[in-house]
Amino acid sequence: MTDVEMCKAETGIKDESSGKHGIRDLLVGKPSYALDPFYMSDFSDTDSDDSTVEPIDEQEIYDLIAPISDPEHPLSLESLGVVKLQDVHLTSPPDPTNPAALSRVLVELTPTVTHCSLATVIGLGVRVRLEQALPPSYRVEVKIKKDTHAQADEVNKQLADKERVAAALENANLMGILKKMMKPCLD
Amino acid sequence: MTTPVAVQILPIAEFKPISSSRAWVSIPNPNGLPLIATATSDKTVRVYSLKNFTLHSTLEGGHSRSVRSVAWKPAVKHNGILCVATGSFDATMGIWRRREEIGELEEPEQIQAETTGDGYVIEMEITSAGQAKSHIRINNDDGDEDNEDNEDWEFAIVLEGHDSEVKNVAYSPSGQWLASCSRDKSIWIWEEIGDEGDDEFETIAVLQEHTADVKCVCWRKDDGNGEVLASASYDDTIRFWKGDDEGEWSSIATLEGHEGTVWSLDWEPEVSQKKFAPKKSPDDYRPQMPRLISSSADLSVRVWSIAPTPPPPNKPSYFNSGIPSTMRPGPTEETWTCTATLPKAHDLPIYSIGWSKKSGRVASTAGDGKVVLYEEQTKGRTAVGGEIEREWAIIGVLEGAHGPYEINHVSWCTRFDAGKREEGEEMLITTGDDGVVRAWSIDEIPIPEIEDEVSTGMNGISIS
Repeated sequence: MTDVEMCKAETGIKDESSGKHGIRDLLVGKPSYALDPFYMSDFSDTDSDDSTVEPIDEQEIYDLIAPISDPEHPLSLESLGVVKLQDVHLTSPPDPTNPAALSRVLVELTPTVTHCSLATVIGLGVRVRLEQALPPSYRVEVKIKKDTHAQADEVNKQLADKERVAAALENANLMGILKKMMKPCLD
Repeated sequence: MTTPVAVQILPIAEFKPISSSRAWVSIPNPNGLPLIATATSDKTVRVYSLKNFTLHSTLEGGHSRSVRSVAWKPAVKHNGILCVATGSFDATMGIWRRREEIGELEEPEQIQAETTGDGYVIEMEITSAGQAKSHIRINNDDGDEDNEDNEDWEFAIVLEGHDSEVKNVAYSPSGQWLASCSRDKSIWIWEEIGDEGDDEFETIAVLQEHTADVKCVCWRKDDGNGEVLASASYDDTIRFWKGDDEGEWSSIATLEGHEGTVWSLDWEPEVSQKKFAPKKSPDDYRPQMPRLISSSADLSVRVWSIAPTPPPPNKPSYFNSGIPSTMRPGPTEETWTCTATLPKAHDLPIYSIGWSKKSGRVASTAGDGKVVLYEEQTKGRTAVGGEIEREWAIIGVLEGAHGPYEINHVSWCTRFDAGKREEGEEMLITTGDDGVVRAWSIDEIPIPEIEDEVSTGMNGISIS
């Protein structure tokens, strides 16, 4: 079973456990900061199954992206120093039992040269890898580490644009490149 | 004084069956038909019935990639033909038609059903004798009424011209023009020539001033000076476009201020304009220039208003000799400024906003999965007889409206289902990455009467 499949299976279990009750909790139960005094229903947690799911940590996220290979060389992003464990940042929600709570992942990439023309493709690969492998409650942000690339702002803006990422994934040429990059992850 | 208002956003239904992949937008039919069209990344558009939240028909086979946007053609005359435009990541647009027995959709309500919860529905059958019979049935079927396709959607014509993904398509309110915008930085304005059904379209204008992807186009109703198109872009700006007397289209305003991609736009509805119009007599209302709202990846929702135009220079100057130019004057440039920023409620890009034509409230939704409702309220007057000061307040927040998934679109929509509380009741429709389209009702939360003396201490009030 690949990581992707495993995570999908995990998500499946989660969805089931949060099924009908989950949605009700999430709709009426969560007091909101702006309206606290007006929310009357009490919040009861029925999502106890979630505690059996191992929380994901930075190391695990790093392990998901470290083997991705450079689009031009048969070398991993780890060996090229493009991804580093200390540049993987994870912010978990304060209340993990809240089904609407989101985890935020920020990965900062260090391109090999400041004019690396493939920075966008590498960044896209990292974002896509994480979005496919992590549960849907994880929001992934991939950025170029400060002062490591001449067009960092442009690359960051592209990688943050959901619509561009979605369109890229429907581009067969680009998908071919991404598949090749991801191959080591699935071996 | 500001009247405290709070609302709860409560689920009505989920449209069935759901799409297995990301759904981008859901657009209610503007001609009063109980239909809503959802564009999805599975290359189709699903048309759902607003009467029973089930699939009415599907537009498929026209696009080779995601259908990113969909627009209903406003009906100039009811000719029994539904017409829809689609925009796709495959860089093309489609025009689709379907012959519809309008009577079937608009048939007088012979059955009034009332939901009692738990899936039971009490149906009141009005018999010809005028007597009401009621019976209970379990509401777990997939809604077989109004669901039979007698004819399919016909992919009438493909419109080609854009170099890359078409992001948004929009018919002008008069139905005369169709605007499209793309990753290729351009906006195209199309006009259908000849009779409806001739399938002949002409490109009226190709507007290329934006320096990056154009994400959204939104038409302003003709206020006597023609229809105006607003566009929002990845270049962080908003632009307005207008055609002159000779049919030449050009940019008439650039709105700068957002610090990220502008994702969504909406024009102020009349109800909101009237709400704050100086009260002389109700008949004295003269429409002013509507305002525009915009939402952005910079996490803000902004309100823009036209700035009073400076008087034209009447004295010749070094730069303006006063000698009439032989060149045709361009359309007047307008100056628009950001006059309000709505209270911050989202922490991920705000993909969609909608300004209700019925209540004047604004709804926003974002990558953070929240749906937020805002209302513009009066704050008081700066001086006796002075202008009424207003402020925007958040009146309702719903977290995780699509579970952990991002919400791509929100729109206001009239209720047609049996559970509606009154004719014309409004609901919200959200469209998410989970492929799900959901309908939500807006319920006012009763607020205990507050005496004037304690109203300053609002924050301390708790409800037991």
